[in-house]
Amino acid sequence: MINNLWVHPTLVLLFGALLMPLVPRVLKKAYLLLVPVLAFASVLHMTNGTFGVVSFLDWTLTFGRVDALAKIFAYIMTLMCAIGTIYGMHVKNDWEHMVAWTYVAGSLGVIFCGDYLVLFLFWEIMAFSSVFLVWFRGRKESLFAGYRYLLVHTAGGLILLAGIVLRFQATGGDLSFGPIGVHTPQLYTWLIMIGFILNAAVPPFHAWLPDAYGEATVTGAVFMCAFTTKTAVYALARGFAGMEILVPLGVCMALYGVVYAVLENDARRLLAYHIISQVGYMVAGVGIGTPLAINGACAHAFAHILYKGLLFMGTGSVLYMTGKSKFSELGGLYKKMPMAFVFTLIGGLSISAFPLFSGFVSKSMIVAAGFEEHNYWAGFLLTLASAGTFLHTGLKVPYFIWFGKNHCSQETWDKAADPPWNMQVAMLIASVLCIFIGSYTPYLYNMLPHQEAAVAYSKVVYSSYHLSESLQILLFTAVGFFLLIKKLAPEPTISIDLDWFYRMGGRGFLRLAKGPIQWVDTGVSEFYRLLGLIPLMTTARFSSWFDWHGIDGVVDGTASGVRGLGTVLKRLQSGQLQYTIFYAVTLLALFLAAYVLA
Amino acid sequence: MDFLILNEGFRTLSALLVVPLLGALVLLTTSSASFARFWTLLITTITAALSLPLYWGFDATTAKYQFAEHLAWIPALNINYTLGIDGISLLLILLTTLLLPLCVLASWNYIKTRVREFMICLLIMEAAMLGVFMALDFVLFYMLWEAMLIPMYLLIAIWGGPRKVYASIKFFLYTLAGSVLLLVAIIALYLHNGTWFIPMMMGQEYSTLFQTVVFLAFFLAFAIKVPMFPFHTWLPAAHVEAPTAGSVILASVLLKMGTYGFLRFCLPITPAATLTFTPYILALSVAGILYGGFTALAQSDMKKLIAYSSVGHMGFVTLGIFVLNTQGVEGALLQMINHGVTTGALFLCVGMIYERTHSRELDSASGLGKFMPIYVTFLAFFSLSSLAFPGTNSFIGEFLILVGAFTKSKIVAGCAIPGAVLAAAYMLRMLQRMIWGSKPNPHPEILSDLSLREIVTLAPLLVFVFWIGLRPEPFLSVMHTSVAHLLAQVHQVTPQVMTVGTLLP
Repeated sequence: MINNLWVHPTLVLLFGALLMPLVPRVLKKAYLLLVPVLAFASVLHMTNGTFGVVSFLDWTLTFGRVDALAKIFAYIMTLMCAIGTIYGMHVKNDWEHMVAWTYVAGSLGVIFCGDYLVLFLFWEIMAFSSVFLVWFRGRKESLFAGYRYLLVHTAGGLILLAGIVLRFQATGGDLSFGPIGVHTPQLYTWLIMIGFILNAAVPPFHAWLPDAYGEATVTGAVFMCAFTTKTAVYALARGFAGMEILVPLGVCMALYGVVYAVLENDARRLLAYHIISQVGYMVAGVGIGTPLAINGACAHAFAHILYKGLLFMGTGSVLYMTGKSKFSELGGLYKKMPMAFVFTLIGGLSISAFPLFSGFVSKSMIVAAGFEEHNYWAGFLLTLASAGTFLHTGLKVPYFIWFGKNHCSQETWDKAADPPWNMQVAMLIASVLCIFIGSYTPYLYNMLPHQEAAVAYSKVVYSSYHLSESLQILLFTAVGFFLLIKKLAPEPTISIDLDWFYRMGGRGFLRLAKGPIQWVDTGVSEFYRLLGLIPLMTTARFSSWFDWHGIDGVVDGTASGVRGLGTVLKRLQSGQLQYTIFYAVTLLALFLAAYVLA
Repeated sequence: MDFLILNEGFRTLSALLVVPLLGALVLLTTSSASFARFWTLLITTITAALSLPLYWGFDATTAKYQFAEHLAWIPALNINYTLGIDGISLLLILLTTLLLPLCVLASWNYIKTRVREFMICLLIMEAAMLGVFMALDFVLFYMLWEAMLIPMYLLIAIWGGPRKVYASIKFFLYTLAGSVLLLVAIIALYLHNGTWFIPMMMGQEYSTLFQTVVFLAFFLAFAIKVPMFPFHTWLPAAHVEAPTAGSVILASVLLKMGTYGFLRFCLPITPAATLTFTPYILALSVAGILYGGFTALAQSDMKKLIAYSSVGHMGFVTLGIFVLNTQGVEGALLQMINHGVTTGALFLCVGMIYERTHSRELDSASGLGKFMPIYVTFLAFFSLSSLAFPGTNSFIGEFLILVGAFTKSKIVAGCAIPGAVLAAAYMLRMLQRMIWGSKPNPHPEILSDLSLREIVTLAPLLVFVFWIGLRPEPFLSVMHTSVAHLLAQVHQVTPQVMTVGTLLP
C-alpha cells in the first residue's frame, strides 16, 4: 500500500545532498534552508501506517513504518537538521553539508525502517557518512580519531549483523524489526543489543564518543551529538523496552558521564561526556519499560537533541571564533561574546532540568517512572546525576568560559566576538524551543507515544512538591559549586578513559602488523620478486633480443644474402663482349666435359 | 549458381568498391589539403553508411553468399566479377567501413605533407580491403589481395618514421613472397576444376598430396599476413614506422586478411590437410601467444609493445580457428573484430601521444594521468579490453576461444592461459607507466588533453568495446549459420584423416 503522498524524508535529504554541487553559489543559502525544511514538512504531513514496501530478492523490505514513536524521533531529527544546517550555513565546503545530510538521512532511514535489513543498511550509512564530519576538521588528531570512530562502529555493525543473521536463522526467516522478546533473551538478543548500545555509547562501549566529538568540525559536532546516540535510543525503545539490564547500565552511564564531565578540561569533550550521562537517562527509561518511562525516554531524547545541540553550538561558536575549546585557555569572555553566553546558559539551564526549561519536563519523567516502579536506587542515583549535571554544564561551562579567571592569550582575546548571524539564528531557534517546551508542556507531551501516561503526568509535572524538590537540589549544588570553585578550576590535563584501550589496542595491532606480518609479507614479496618477476622479465628481454637477432636475423640475413648474390652476379654483367664470350665458352666446355665423362 | 543469393536492385557491394575509388579520382583534381581531408571524411562516411544496410538486410538463416553480384569479366579465361558475403565476411566488412572515417580523423593534423596523396592511398586501400572480403572469384580476389600492398607500402614509405624505407620494403617483400605461392595454388585449383569461382572449389575430391601442397601454399601466404610466429617480424617494423592511420589499418584490417583466408580457403577447400596440420598450427598458435606476450613485456616503445601484443592476440585467433569447433571458430571470428576495435583504438591512442611528444618511448609518456585525464580514461578502458577484462569485448572472444580449446585439448588450452596473464602483465605495466609513471614527465607543458576531434575518434570504439562486451548476441547471431556450414564442410572428410595421418611421416 504505497501512498502517493508519502515521501520518505531520507530521500529528500539524499537527493538534496546529490544535487548540492549543481546549485549555483548565489542560491546556495536558500537551498541549504529549503531541503531540511522540505524534509521536516514531509514528516509533519505523515499519517500512521506502513509505506514504502519493496520486494527485494526473497525479502519484503519496509522503508516506511510510521507510528507515534517513529514520528516523534523523525520530527525532532528533521527539525535539528534544519537548525544544524542554518548553524553551518557559512561553511563553504559543500561536502560537509552533503555528508551531514546523508548522515541525517541514515538516521531517518533507521527511524522509519520496518525490518533489520533496512535498519542495517542505514545504520552503516550513518557510520560511514558521519566519520567525514570528524575528518573534515583537518587536524592530524581528527584523522586518527576518525579512524578509531570508524573501526569501533564497523565492529559494532558486524556484531549487529551477526545478531540479525542468527535471529534470521533461529526464527526461520523473520526480519521484522519490533519488540524482540526481552523476557527470553537468546544469544542473538544480546548481540543485537550490543550493536545498539555501542551506538548509544553505553560503557564500556562509549569511549569513541568523546574521542570523536571532541575532534569533529564545529558544525559536525552539532550534528553528531544529535543523531547517532538518539537513533540508538530509538532502536532500543523499539526493540528492547523493559530489558532490565538496561536500567543499571543506564544509571551507570548517567553517573559515569557526569564524573568524567566534571574532570574534563575541553569544553566540547565535557559536553560529549555529558551526552553519555544524558543518554543514560534514556537507556534507563527504556530499561524500566513502563509507558511513563518510554514516554520519558522519548521526551528526554527530544529535549536533549535541542539543548545539547544548543550547547554544542554555543561552545562551537567559541571554538569557531577563538580557535580554542579548553577551559584553561579561555575565560572572562562575557564582554566579547554576550549572545553566545546567553544561548549557552539557556542550554545549560535546560540540561540541568531547571523549572520552565525543557529538561525539567522530560528528565523528571524518567526519574518519576523509576520511583513509580519502586526502583528506588535507580531513582536516587539518577537524581544524584542530575545534581552533577547542573554542577558541570549549568555552572562550570558558562562560568569558566565567560566568567572566571581570564586565561585567554592576547590573540584569543582579540579574535573573540559574537559569532556570525546564521549561528546566532540557529541558537536562537533552539533556545526559544527549549524554553517553549519547558513552559508549555502539551507541545511535547502530545507527541509522546503513550498518551494516557503523558496526560496523567502533565498534571503533576509542575506540582509544588516537584518544583520545590528540584529547586532545593539545584540550590545546594550551586552553593557547593561556589564553595568548591577552587577545586573545580580547570587544569590542562587529559582524563584517561577507556579509549586508552582503543589506543593501546591500535598500537598493539600496529606492532603486530609492523613485526611478524610485515616480515611474512616482505618474504612473500621477495619470493615473488626472485622467482616470479626476475625470471619473467629476463625471459621477456631474452625473447625480445631473440626476436631481433634470431628470427629477424634470419629474415634480414636472407634478404642481404640475396642482395649479396645479386651484387656478385652483377659483376658478371660487365657489358664487355670478350668476357661474356669467355664465360659462355667456359660454361659450354664444362657442360661438354660433364656430358662426355658421364 | 545455387551458392549465391543474387542481389536485386541496388548493388550495395559494388557501391562499396566504387564509391571510395570515385572519391580518390575526384581528389586527383584538387590540390587543397583541407578539401582533401573533408572530402575523404565524407566519402568514408558515405561508404560506412552504405555498408550498414548489409547488417539489417542480412539473412542469418542461410550459409549462402548474399547480396551477390555476378558479371562476366574476361570470358576467354572464364574469369568473372563475382561478389558476395556471408556470416564470416559481414562483420569484417562493417569493421573496415566503420574504421576508415576514424582513420581519416586520426590523420587530420598528423599528416602535414602530401595530404591529398595520403587520402588517395587511404581510399584505394579501403576499396581493396573491402574487395578482398567480398570477392568470390579467385582472380579478382588475388588482384585485390596484391593491390592492397601498394597503398600500404606507400603509406609507410612516404609518411612513415625514420626507418621507413627498411620497414616498407620488408613489409612488401615479405608479404609478396608469401603471396606468390598463393598464386601457384590458385592456378593449380583452376586447372583441377576449370573455374575460378571460389565456392565451386570447396568440397571437391582432391588427392591427399594435392591438398597438402595447396594447403601449405595457402598457409604460408596467410600465416605471414596474420602474422603467425615465426613469420611475424615484419609486423613490429612496419607498425613502428607507419603513420597512425597506417598502423590502425594494418592492425585492424590487414591482419584479419590472414585469418579470413584460413576460414575462407584453407578450411573448406583443403579440409583433410587442415585436419592433418591442425596439431602443428595449434602449437604455433600457442607459441605465438606466449612469445608475443613475453616480447611485448620487454618493449619500451609503445607501438612495438602493441605490435607484439597483436602477435599474441592473433595467436588466440588462429588457436580458435584450428580447434575446429563452434565455440572456437565463433570466438575467433568475434576476436578478429575485437582485435580490430581494441588494437586499432590503442594505436590511435599512441598516435595522439606521438602528436604531442614526438616520441613513442614509454618514458616520455610517463605520468600522463595528471595532465590528460580524458586521454588516460580512454587508454585505461582500451587496455583493459586488450587484456580481456570481463565486461569488455575481448573477454567474450577469448572466453569462447578458450572454451573451444578446452573442448579440443586441455593441454593446448592450459598452455594458452599464461598468455592471458602475460597480456595483463604487459598492458598493466604500460598503463602504470603512462598514467602514474615512475618518474615525472619530461615535458608536462606540451601535454594538452584530448580535443573534441580526438574524443570523437575514440568514443565510437569505446562504445563497441562495451557493446560487444556486455551484449555480444547481435554480433554472434549473424555468424552462427555460416560457421556451422563451414565446420560441416571440414568434418565431412573426417574418415580420410586416418589415411592422411598414416601417409605422412
